[in-house]
Order: sequence, then C-alpha cells, then structure tokens
Amino acid sequence: MLSELPYQRMLQECLRGELRVLNAHLPCEQKPLSDLLGEETASVVCNDGSTHLFKRKELEYLASMIDTDEQEALLLPMLIEVNPGQDEMAIMCRGEVEGKVISKILNMPATVKQNRIIIYKPQLALLRKSLKTTTQYLFAPKTSNELSSF
Amino acid sequence: MPQQLIKVRPTKIEMIKLRRRLSLASRIQKIVKDRLSILVMEFLQIAKETVEAKRKLLDEFSEAYRALSIAAGYHGYIALEKELLATERDLEIVTGSRNIAGARIPSFELKGDERAAKGYNIIDTSSWLDQIAQLSEKCLEDIIVLAELQSSLELLGREISRTKRIVNALEYLTIPSLQATIKFLYMKFEEKDREEKSRLKRVKVLLERG
Repeated sequence: MLSELPYQRMLQECLRGELRVLNAHLPCEQKPLSDLLGEETASVVCNDGSTHLFKRKELEYLASMIDTDEQEALLLPMLIEVNPGQDEMAIMCRGEVEGKVISKILNMPATVKQNRIIIYKPQLALLRKSLKTTTQYLFAPKTSNELSSF
Repeated sequence: MPQQLIKVRPTKIEMIKLRRRLSLASRIQKIVKDRLSILVMEFLQIAKETVEAKRKLLDEFSEAYRALSIAAGYHGYIALEKELLATERDLEIVTGSRNIAGARIPSFELKGDERAAKGYNIIDTSSWLDQIAQLSEKCLEDIIVLAELQSSLELLGREISRTKRIVNALEYLTIPSLQATIKFLYMKFEEKDREEKSRLKRVKVLLERG
C-alpha cells in the first residue's frame, strides 16, 4: 500500500482546475442580435472577465434569416447544453426564434420543448460550422457543488 | 498491472467516503470525456477548414500573380510600382478570443470599408490594376482567416493532448485505484467477520466444556 500518493493529489488539483475552466467562458449576459449589429465591435463579457468576440459575418448571416422583431428576441451567444454521458445536446432558448434559426441552418424541423431544442452530434457539427462565435458550450454537471468539492 | 492502493483506515466511514469519491470520479470522467469529444470534433472541423483555406489561398495567390504579371507587362514595372506605392495603407484587424469547451482560441477580423478608395488614379490606369487590387484584398482576407485557423488548430491540439492525459489518468489510475481500495476494504471487513465468527465459535466451545 502506498502512502499519500503525490500523483493522486496532483491529479485532484488538475481535475479541480479542469472543472473550474469548464464553464468559466459563459457570458455574464446574453445580448439581442439587434444590439450586437449596432455595436462597432460586437462582443460580450464572460464570467472569467474575458471578452467573447462575435464575427460580423455570422451576425449578418443570422440577421438575414429573421426579421427585425425577431432580431430583438434572439439572444446571443446561443448556449448548447452538454449533459455528461449523453449523446444528445440541448440548445437553450427562450422563444421560437432560436427554433426558426436552427431549423433553417440544419435544414430540418426543430421543435422547442421545455425551452430546449434537442440536437445530436452530427447536427452539432453542422451548427458549429456555420455559427462558430454565436454559439457556446455549457457543461451541465448535475451536482456542481459536489464536483467542486472533489 | 497491480493497482496502487490508497492508504486509508479500514473503517466503514472511509469506505463510504471512497465510494463517494469513486462515483464523483466516474462522473468527472464522463464530463472530461465529453469535453474531449467536443474538442476533437472542433479540431477535425478546423483541420478541414484549414486545408480548404490553404488551397483557396494558393489559388488566389496564383491568380493575383498572373494578373500582376499582365499588369506589369501592360503598364511597365516602373509605372506599376509608382501606382502601387500610392495604394499602401494601414490595416485594422480586430482581435479577440473565443472559447471552445474551455480552450481559448484567437479570433481575427479585418476591419475596414471594402469600397474605400484604392489610392491610385483610376483614369490613368487599366482595369488590370483594379483586378490586382481586388485579388490582393481577397488574399489578405484569406491570410487572416488562415492565421486564425492555424493558431486555433495548434491550441486545440495542445488542449486535446492535455485533456487526453487527464482522461487516461482517471481511467487507468484514479478509478482503478479507488476500486481496488474499495475491494481491499471489503475483503478486510469480510476477514474481520470471519475472525469474529470463529472467535464466537471458540468461546461457545469453551463455555460448553466448562
């Protein structure tokens, strides 16, 4: 039996750091597309203090898909919820605008259920290909308090 | 490979703690594995885009050089150089960062009006010069895109190898050692039970004899 494995301790430190960075990049607040289009450098401030930059081309691409009222309702960046150990992912949304945008990009009907649109990995790759900066991953560990105390 | 055991007191409390730690470790392993799969997916996508961007840039370069040589033939080198000197201007690039599953990668965007004056005399020059200007601007945009893609690729690759090490450490070291320790503690408890049983039997025999 080994006494107090230093490697174990190091690994635990490493894991703690890993979980800390996992959701640190989430934005403090989501901004409507209409506001972002009006900004000279479209960006949002993240929880870790960094700035997330939006590509103008992507914003214009999104704006071309929806009308002016919907541009005000579309909050960016869109959050893609990743549940550990599950193949499906969920896009968190408030209204029907996100569903409209996603269905247009994926070229398939997208239904909003309990403020979420369920997508799978091949669809995620497609979505991320066209919306690189306007989407962000959100890792949803079920018991975050427990995880932080690991 | 024999698993390393964690030094703990063989008590029920420690056993419960270890089991909790094991369940947490497997949950974390799932999260880190998910993160790894996302990083790999993004890496492959960026790799594909990098190859495409490189090919596109090479095509545009060859087109631009062809147009340049035709324009040089038409205007003459000295006249062309004189005109091109006037086209020099500062570039404005907006730099920022974006985050992919915890990996921060750079983001570049060329700023400026595409329809801005080119700087040379349109009346005195031929349409070849316009074509060179257009093609060069395209090349410039693609160079910036390629720079972003290549640096992203490098950073994502580094992040993937780091995450892979963590996944492997969890999979082949932490979880097996926790499992082995739990198994060892189970065996210890069973051994204690057996000892207790044989002791009681012995006491019973002694009592019957007495």
